[in-house]
Amino acid sequence: MITLNVNGESNQLDVSPEMPLLWAIRDKLNLTGTKFGCGHAMCGACVVHLDGEAARSCSIMVGEAAGKRITTIEGISGPVAEAVTHAWQSLDVVQCGYCQSGQIMSAIVLLNENKNPTDEDINLGMEGNICRCGTYVRIRRAIHQAAKTLA
Amino acid sequence: MLRARPKLLIVLLIVLGTGGAVWGQTQSAGAGDSLAAWGKIITVLQHPRCLNCHQLNSPLQKDSRRMHIPHVVRGVDSHGVGPMRCGNCHNDSNNLTSRTPGAPEWSLAPVSMLWQGLSSGDLCRMLKDPARNGKRSPEALVEHMNSPLILWGWNPGPGLEPVPIPHAEFINLMNVWVAGGSACPK
Repeated sequence: MITLNVNGESNQLDVSPEMPLLWAIRDKLNLTGTKFGCGHAMCGACVVHLDGEAARSCSIMVGEAAGKRITTIEGISGPVAEAVTHAWQSLDVVQCGYCQSGQIMSAIVLLNENKNPTDEDINLGMEGNICRCGTYVRIRRAIHQAAKTLA
Repeated sequence: MLRARPKLLIVLLIVLGTGGAVWGQTQSAGAGDSLAAWGKIITVLQHPRCLNCHQLNSPLQKDSRRMHIPHVVRGVDSHGVGPMRCGNCHNDSNNLTSRTPGAPEWSLAPVSMLWQGLSSGDLCRMLKDPARNGKRSPEALVEHMNSPLILWGWNPGPGLEPVPIPHAEFINLMNVWVAGGSACPK
């Protein structure tokens, strides 16, 4: 049995330590806000937080996530998360929405570590989050707006 | 079973004989032996498994040495920036599902150890220079080749070619190189 602390709750799961964390989150815990995109850590749809760091849950294995504080899109809270989600809503960032939970999870980590990111900081930090609808301009604007809210 | 034993004995004699020859070579290695050993060592150090992360700002990827996808950059601690840090995707071991390679301390090599574009001689001089090799003595350098991140080069997982020389042989070559004075080509 492996214990996963997800969104503040402890869960005992009978799974292989080599199972991708995303499988456990979606299929065992039924938290489906985190999306499967490429399955190879290349698109960012599956980003969650591990002890506050961005983590691609299709690639991080359950055994490595055990003992860490796992946060999914369903469990985000605090001033940065609120600023980001409010900016996302007020600027109507989302198009189809499939990648957006991963985008938001990465944006929160970016703003946690950099309160006033430049366009280049945003480009480098969000580089690995792919949006097939091309909402990048709105994502960048929303991150700047969230930063202003937090200033 | 009985028929297999002579074969086993022969294999053992070959293995022990080879080891003895290398040990003897280590003890009496001269500059020529050292230089010859380096000629093989360099084939490991310039292999994509090593060279792909001995880069300035962004690692390369795969046997083809393409740019890393997604694009990542060094950052202040050589482990990336913000939501794009090495450990965000790379585990302490290879992930056979996502096929993401992994080992402890997965990161770019320090800036003092940029090997891309160096000739064999220049890389050799960099490797033995304590100012550019992490302040390592020759003996510590050999020991360093047993660290988990470096050992990954021999076990890179599916779809990636391992470095070209078996690890035990590589360590023997390193010992010969050091014993002969860490000789470098011009």
